[in-house]
Amino acid sequence: MTTMTTPTELSDTELLRQAKGGAAAAFAALYRRHQGPLYRYAMLRSGSPATAADIVQEAFMGLLTGRLQFDPLRGQLQHFLFGVARMLALRQEPHAAHRAAPVHGDASDEDLEPELASEAPEPLARLLDNEAAEEVRRALAMLAPHYRDVVILYELHDLSYLEIAGICQVDIGTVRSRLSRGRAALAKRLAQHRPATAA
Amino acid sequence: MNDDMTNDSILAAPMATLRAEMEKQAAPTGVEDALMLAFAQAHPARRWYHTLGAGRWRIAGGLTAAALALLVLAIAPQPAVQMAPGQQSLAALEAGGEFIALDSLDRIEREPAPRMVETELPRTALAPLGVEITPENAGESVKAEMLVAANGDPLAVRLTSLN
Repeated sequence: MTTMTTPTELSDTELLRQAKGGAAAAFAALYRRHQGPLYRYAMLRSGSPATAADIVQEAFMGLLTGRLQFDPLRGQLQHFLFGVARMLALRQEPHAAHRAAPVHGDASDEDLEPELASEAPEPLARLLDNEAAEEVRRALAMLAPHYRDVVILYELHDLSYLEIAGICQVDIGTVRSRLSRGRAALAKRLAQHRPATAA
Repeated sequence: MNDDMTNDSILAAPMATLRAEMEKQAAPTGVEDALMLAFAQAHPARRWYHTLGAGRWRIAGGLTAAALALLVLAIAPQPAVQMAPGQQSLAALEAGGEFIALDSLDRIEREPAPRMVETELPRTALAPLGVEITPENAGESVKAEMLVAANGDPLAVRLTSLN
């Protein structure tokens, strides 16, 4: 007896293999499986739905054309895509060259203030319908990008320090310190808004 | 540590709210449309013969070559049969007025009541005996004497008016 396997039940690696062989259904299944988390990360990271859509499209286009080579032995496809999205987001920021350089040990990183004016085009433009959620998003958008990365990946995507370290190309100690400082800055900003909203 | 716990208490509810709201967000459908269009252009539809592997192509090629070789052998002009010195065709034997056996000699000798009948045979029916056929004489008949058995089976024939 043979059993039918739908694309949604297959592993990322198998779907990728089939997609490279020309199976459109496999590529579509792969896209639908990962587009949501990737888009949400890119949207919070960039503060712009249009930029997030561009990032998602470019990341998958890279897989399609073979310009991006995913190695299953080096981790999960979703983490690989997060890393690609992060690099694409960095490229779209002003002073990208300065920020794109990987920081290991990150002593200089600790000198940076976590809470900086966002470089997103319209950080305060409303993106979410829910007022409370929008307030958190705006607070998140005010964090410096390298703090924003770790906070988004940890708080909203439930990734471990090790996984975040792989995506952001930094060591675990740097992830820990960025997360601690980023969360502190976020909490401070939200706490400041709390009395105002309660009033 | 206390700072972290304080931050946890401050961030827990807002982050849960943000997470719930973000779950509703997805990439615009136009992104998928564009990607699938690009995919279709990168992977044009394959014909059935593109799906055959190299091994199957080798087998198919071998079979085709063998079939062609057989076909060539079948349709190639066959060399004329050369008569050995002293050997005569049946038609030549006829010229000498000899009978041409149509059955075994043993069967002819054992026939108790053979009889001779005169008949005419179409020239085309005599072609296996070496009688020449041309477009001009193909429709003609040849007179013959035929030795037949009591039951009517032909035993031997002698052509009497080949020309």
